[in-house]
Amino acid sequence: MVKINIDGQELELEAGTTILEAANEVQVNIPTLCYLEDLSVYGGCRLCVVEIIGEEMLRPACTTEIEDDMQIKTHSKKVREVRRNIFELIISSHDIDCKLNCLTCARSTNCELRDVGEQIDMQEMRLDAIERNYVDDSSSHSIVRKPNKCIACTRCIRKCEEVQGVGIFTKANRGPETVITTFKDRGMGNVDCTNCGQCIQACPTGALHESYHYNSVWHFLNDSSKFVVVQTAPAVRVALSEGFGEQPGTVATGQMVAALRRLGFDRVFDTNFTADLTIMEEGHELIDRIQNDGQLPMFTSCSPGWIKFIEHFYPEYLDNLSTCKSPQQMLGAVTKSYYAEQQGIPPEDIVVVSVMPCTAKKFESVRPEMDKDVDFVLTTRELIRMIKEFSLDMMNLAEEPYDKLMGTSSGAADIFGASGGVMEAALRTAYEVITEEELENLDFTAVRGTNGIKEAEVEIGDLTLKAAVVSGLGNAKELMERIEAGAEYHFVEIMACPGGCAGGGGQPIPTNQEIVEQRLNSLYEIDKHKSLRKSHQNPEIKQIYAEYLGEPGSEKAHELLHTSYVVRNI
Amino acid sequence: MEEKILLKEGIDIDLKGRGGDTPPAEPNINEYDFFVLEEALNLDREEIIEQIKEAYLKGRGGAGFPTGLKWEMALAEEAEQKYMICNADEAETGTFKDRYLLENVPFKVLEGIIIGAYAIGAEQAYIYMRGEYARPRNVFSKAIEEAYKQGLLGEDILGSGFNLELRLIKGAGAYICGEETALLNSIEGKRGRSRTKPPYPIQKGLFDQPTAVNNVETLASCREIIRIGAKEYKSLGTKESRGTKLVCLSGDIWKPGVYEVEFGQVTIKEIVEEYGGGTRDDAQLKFIIPGGASTSILPAEKLDIPYCYETLAQAGSSVGSGAIIVVDDSHNLFDLMVTVSRFFMDETCGTCFPCKEGNRQVNHILNKVADKGGFSKEEVEIVKSIGRTIYLSARCGLGQTSLNFIYSILKNYPDEVLLGGDKHGKD
Ligand SMILES: Cc1cc2nc3c(=O)[nH]c(=O)nc-3n(C[C@H](O)[C@H](O)[C@H](O)COP(=O)(O)O)c2cc1C
Ligand code: SF4
Ligand code: SF4
Ligand code: SF4
Ligand code: SF4
Repeated sequence: MVKINIDGQELELEAGTTILEAANEVQVNIPTLCYLEDLSVYGGCRLCVVEIIGEEMLRPACTTEIEDDMQIKTHSKKVREVRRNIFELIISSHDIDCKLNCLTCARSTNCELRDVGEQIDMQEMRLDAIERNYVDDSSSHSIVRKPNKCIACTRCIRKCEEVQGVGIFTKANRGPETVITTFKDRGMGNVDCTNCGQCIQACPTGALHESYHYNSVWHFLNDSSKFVVVQTAPAVRVALSEGFGEQPGTVATGQMVAALRRLGFDRVFDTNFTADLTIMEEGHELIDRIQNDGQLPMFTSCSPGWIKFIEHFYPEYLDNLSTCKSPQQMLGAVTKSYYAEQQGIPPEDIVVVSVMPCTAKKFESVRPEMDKDVDFVLTTRELIRMIKEFSLDMMNLAEEPYDKLMGTSSGAADIFGASGGVMEAALRTAYEVITEEELENLDFTAVRGTNGIKEAEVEIGDLTLKAAVVSGLGNAKELMERIEAGAEYHFVEIMACPGGCAGGGGQPIPTNQEIVEQRLNSLYEIDKHKSLRKSHQNPEIKQIYAEYLGEPGSEKAHELLHTSYVVRNI
Repeated sequence: MEEKILLKEGIDIDLKGRGGDTPPAEPNINEYDFFVLEEALNLDREEIIEQIKEAYLKGRGGAGFPTGLKWEMALAEEAEQKYMICNADEAETGTFKDRYLLENVPFKVLEGIIIGAYAIGAEQAYIYMRGEYARPRNVFSKAIEEAYKQGLLGEDILGSGFNLELRLIKGAGAYICGEETALLNSIEGKRGRSRTKPPYPIQKGLFDQPTAVNNVETLASCREIIRIGAKEYKSLGTKESRGTKLVCLSGDIWKPGVYEVEFGQVTIKEIVEEYGGGTRDDAQLKFIIPGGASTSILPAEKLDIPYCYETLAQAGSSVGSGAIIVVDDSHNLFDLMVTVSRFFMDETCGTCFPCKEGNRQVNHILNKVADKGGFSKEEVEIVKSIGRTIYLSARCGLGQTSLNFIYSILKNYPDEVLLGGDKHGKD
């Protein structure tokens, strides 16, 4: 144990503790910008410098380990002066020239830079703004990079590499021209980026944001010749309220539906409905593969970040991917066919918008295989913007239900937003379909939680189903290595984002482990309190098969609900 | 050519083509006697380190860390592999002494490397050489090649049982890569940026193994210490500055070149006037930069001090790399400041926000100031506070020293740099 004194507080902590961690013990949050829990320590922003009595130079709290009898001042005169000066320097080259840049920024409401500025009480700006004139990278369908706002903290580099195992960003050049870029400056759309958006979640500034669709959506909402349909993903309902000041995990399903109607959407459907549909199709496919010696393990296909990852890095496993489209695409497909026919609306007049916790779904919607099932994809954050612009007091709206035909869902569909949820939903249905017996305990707790890799064996009749559940692409990589080394599974669920869609790249900022867990808990609560908890018992699902699709795996189902994949090089 | 380096008294050396000497001949391994190396390999490791410690040799790369202590710590580290690295990046402005040694006495440097490696128990060594150094690279590559042939490198060197592999690595033109931890990254094929210390290279250096990094001149001096003995070496210089130092004289003088001086025996003024032949064209000397652009200037009236670590520290500057740049009064101070600031701005590795942004902002202010011909008082305050911020919070020596030159100009010549109306009432 090491004895130290921080700001007059005596404490004893384990050797190896950093000053930053030690300060937390005495309720001091030293300001940081390049530091992010769960990533390696970079030590670049120097905002966390502290004074050690007896030393002239300041030391960064994030990289300095405590030593016996250290006397630490986290806010001495010297420290405060240096911190302010550093901050002033950062801001001077941060694309701020009072063209209202802060107001028009992607992070106008949740900018870490501004939080830190407030924390260290910036009182004046003595320096000239330095223009950098870099060109925005708009090459990606999912993400926009604005290098003029980038402070080169490398959090995106580290997140992409260390957590996602992808590593498309690098630092280039030297000195103040140090920039973050992609291989040969090709742009995010032309390298092996999976579009997962985790880099956005890591970025403290507005240098990374989703490619916006909300302006187009406004356009079509004002076009009376169009029938504009919206669908909402499971994970959005437990996160949207954060944009309106609520505690993470506060459920706002009914309020969200009401708000969407107020915005002018003609129908509000639930992506949960097609989550149930996915279970029918994917479950059928799994049983078929198991019974007929098909390619195993079967991988889930509802996370487009994961799809792009496997297409780039493990194309030899493409036959292992379920051919099911993601629930977002399925809903688009059935809206423009089944629903259009039922209601007598010409499909070409229908505009399908989806609200997703995800940035990769934007790319997915423009895949040529998808045939424009979905026209626009909003992230949770974009929907927050729209509701705010409409000046709705969302949390006080009376709750409203989803529209009929594609608005009913089981609890199994709600948990699609959690890592392990697809697996659990599939097990509930597969068990009853295979054994034709009622499942007693619906909770498969072994596949719940935020562990990166979860494994389970489930007895279904004579079959011992071996399952694995993975979230975060870095973990996906590890699982693929296990499979290459001989690990055997029947069914593997993979979500690109840590914790699953609840932690998606399109979710409100901040999104961190603690917040993700609160969102996950709410999803399981919703499931627990529903009377309908199994996909195959959803009456609207029964109806769509009876009236339109026939059987799971039918020709019609294949035409509308299944897809194919492409080999992409690295 | 006769060997003139590290003789007992301060004797100057004429660089090739200067002072009328014929250019030095190609170094020839067959004409070189490796008796010092042989002697060293017969000593215990501890005995060598004891000599270097007793001689109280300080690193000649700029930081002045005691070499004997560094080696002692390196030897004490337990590891599968240890590395000895000779730092020949020599990118500090105005510095060209290592080039001189590499071109003219490569075997002396080679001996130094082998002795150092032996002393710390390293069987792998690297020499990291500035990319622009084509001739030194040719000469030294050949020296390495021949040394292998003659059993001076490789297995069982001179029958001592000691093995050493030495590789030459060519730098790619970044000043920061002379900083020892950035140098390690560069050898490992990573981006040239400094590492957080601790861990120090001695604990976790190249490929995470204990590593001693030493300057070319330091290693050549170690060879000399073994040759003449620590007692004799120690008899040269002053208490805190033992032995001799190679000084690189450049700037507005008649005879630029590499000179060897005994610490404490000559004043800076004498070095400039007697070795350097004084300022050119009878111009007035304005100031000197004693150790490259990362050190603070000394104005003309403060040059009557003996050349050694102590006096330079007292005068608010440092020996640095030994690059004495002489500046006469024909220059525009603003131009000089802009040039130096541009150098540091371009060369920061871009990691620390204060260093990266601070040097950019200072360069921006200096350009403005140069255009209008003077600082406002506020601008002086801003530059000083940026300087202090970088100094206190940047990670490595590049940032910490990047504003020394500019700060010292502001301090020494306030009347000359302030705009008319701001001149009254100095701080
Ligand atoms: C920016 C920067 C550049 C440096 N460049 C060199 C160099 O070119 N050569 C050198 O020997 N040391 C250089 N150093 C010092 C090294 O970090 C290190 O202290 C030195 O190589 C140790 O050797 P020594 O103890 O023998 O001097 C530099 C330091 C800094 C901060
Ligand atoms: S990132 Fe923050 S400080 Fe920068 S422009 Fe956006 S809101 Fe303003
Ligand atoms: S979207 Fe995902 S894969 Fe692409 S750069 Fe960001 S973190 Fe990496
Ligand atoms: S894009 Fe964002 S996270 Fe990446 S280095 Fe720039 S500021 Fe940091
Ligand atoms: S002080 Fe400057 S050169 Fe040194 S690590 Fe920091 S940014 Fe790089």
